[in-house]
Amino acid sequence: MSRARLTKGLLLLPVLIYTGFSAGPYLWTAMMSLRTTDEIYRNHYGLPIPPHWWKFYTAWTEFGYATYFRNSAIVAVVAVALITIFGAMAGFGFARRRYAFPLREPMFLMLFLSVMFPPQIMILSLFQILINYKLFNTLAGLILVYVATELPVTIYLLRAFFAQIPQELEEAARIDGCGDWAMFWRVMFPIARPAVATTMILNFIYFWNEFLYAVVFITKQEIRTLPLAIQFLVSDQYFDIGMLATGLMIATLPVLALYFFLSEWFVKGMTAGAIKG
Amino acid sequence: MPVNQLETAETLARPLARDALLRARQRRPWGAIALFLSPALFFYFAFIIYPVLVTFYNSVHTLRMDLGMLYEYVGFEHFREILAEDEVFWKAARNSMTWAVVAPCIDIPLALILAFILHSKVPFARFFRTVWFTPLLMSYPVVGVIWLWVYNYDWGMANLVLRAIGLGPYAQAWLASPTTALPALILVTTWMFAGFNMVVMLAAIHAIPAEYLEAARVDGANTRQRLLHIIIPLLRPTMVNLAILDFIGKMKQFALVWVMTRGGPMWGTETVATYVIKRAFEWKTLDLGYPSAIAVLWFIIIFGLSLGLTRFLQRREALEF
Repeated sequence: MSRARLTKGLLLLPVLIYTGFSAGPYLWTAMMSLRTTDEIYRNHYGLPIPPHWWKFYTAWTEFGYATYFRNSAIVAVVAVALITIFGAMAGFGFARRRYAFPLREPMFLMLFLSVMFPPQIMILSLFQILINYKLFNTLAGLILVYVATELPVTIYLLRAFFAQIPQELEEAARIDGCGDWAMFWRVMFPIARPAVATTMILNFIYFWNEFLYAVVFITKQEIRTLPLAIQFLVSDQYFDIGMLATGLMIATLPVLALYFFLSEWFVKGMTAGAIKG
Repeated sequence: MPVNQLETAETLARPLARDALLRARQRRPWGAIALFLSPALFFYFAFIIYPVLVTFYNSVHTLRMDLGMLYEYVGFEHFREILAEDEVFWKAARNSMTWAVVAPCIDIPLALILAFILHSKVPFARFFRTVWFTPLLMSYPVVGVIWLWVYNYDWGMANLVLRAIGLGPYAQAWLASPTTALPALILVTTWMFAGFNMVVMLAAIHAIPAEYLEAARVDGANTRQRLLHIIIPLLRPTMVNLAILDFIGKMKQFALVWVMTRGGPMWGTETVATYVIKRAFEWKTLDLGYPSAIAVLWFIIIFGLSLGLTRFLQRREALEF
């Protein structure tokens, strides 16, 4: 009994150390976000007493976070909406026996292989293409690229789900006079809701945080997304640590708040691509 | 006689098969197939396949941005220059490879240990899992800024901890020296990804049939033996997948470097990904052809290595079972 308790205690030690390593930096930033830069320079590890909540208002209104937040939200929401509907359609089309045609499987394999492509192999020519089509320096261009880059994974995950839905269900619906579109939209899509939610979370996080394409395709300040804005703010106000910390909180809190309530879904979504390789 | 029989069977079967095929083709709902697949295929060909082909095309050209994208054919000159003369490329390639090899060697065992500890019924396991997973949800710029502060010489957390546990002499400006900057960045990616790998492995451990572990316990296997002889072998496919995923991810590493060190000091943290972007947009060479050639080279290496790695690791597994 006591031996078991001792083992448990010994196991708890590395757990606590790792938790400190894992959570420490972010908690420290969270504390700094509620303190002024003067206070921080006096003591970097002081508690936020009293907490300066007004800093969030100042960052939002005076440092442009309202704009950056809006840009990120537009990009993430529109891209998730597009990728969810197109990805589900393709996942459905690739999964069901009714839509089989001779080159379908090779086509799907090719689509899936592109998951391994490093972005560099596309980014320079995408830069050219976006300029040619007047999509450079627009949120629309960024959204199109985002949708394209995440589609393969989305289709892969949704196809696996659609393939599991029993054939009898499809046949029953067809006998009831269900056409192809109604079959997808009214019957299959609602059944696939858990898988769809998983991919929505995965894609939302990816779009909210994406940096490389944003760096290359966005050069105008007023359409910067949050990750891009933070990169510029680091160099512009390197010494205003307090305000920067507040900005980091603004950039992360929406996602972390959702994660707090839906952590099971988040974990499922973020790891969905990894279980099967 | 048997030949004859076969022929009969074939001639009999052929028209039947053709009929079936014809009927299937008539019934094949091409309209619906097009409806469901065409949006995705449009995105795929317009924004992935076409750009990849353009990059390959660009890699054998000089492409002057200042002269309205003027193309000039140069053959494999860029590739020769990259491999034979470009020292920065070799430094970047070495850094990327180091990152891609070292990171999985740290992340995967660490994640395995953490997963095993959580599996051993530690109290508040769900809470710890939730916390450890959190870093993955932040963008690289956010993570980069936080860790710039952690590595600050005067008041950063890293040196604070070292001084607190009596290792004060080791406190240093971690990102300022070419020898410590890359390891410092690798630690940041471990911070981000260990929790993620841990969660996947924990799920795999939970998926191991309880009877296996129970049988081992009955046979008198202790915790260490159960870990070494049951859990690790059964987790191997998962670990292989995660290692390959980690490897590919690190071969592409761009954002963290861009925010924290910009490849410095002295190219100590330059990666191939950052070098491509620098050559394209920061160095005033105004040529998109050369960086495209680097991208093509790196693409072939990543693709080759990840396919080779998958084959190699999975074959070893097949041999063992």
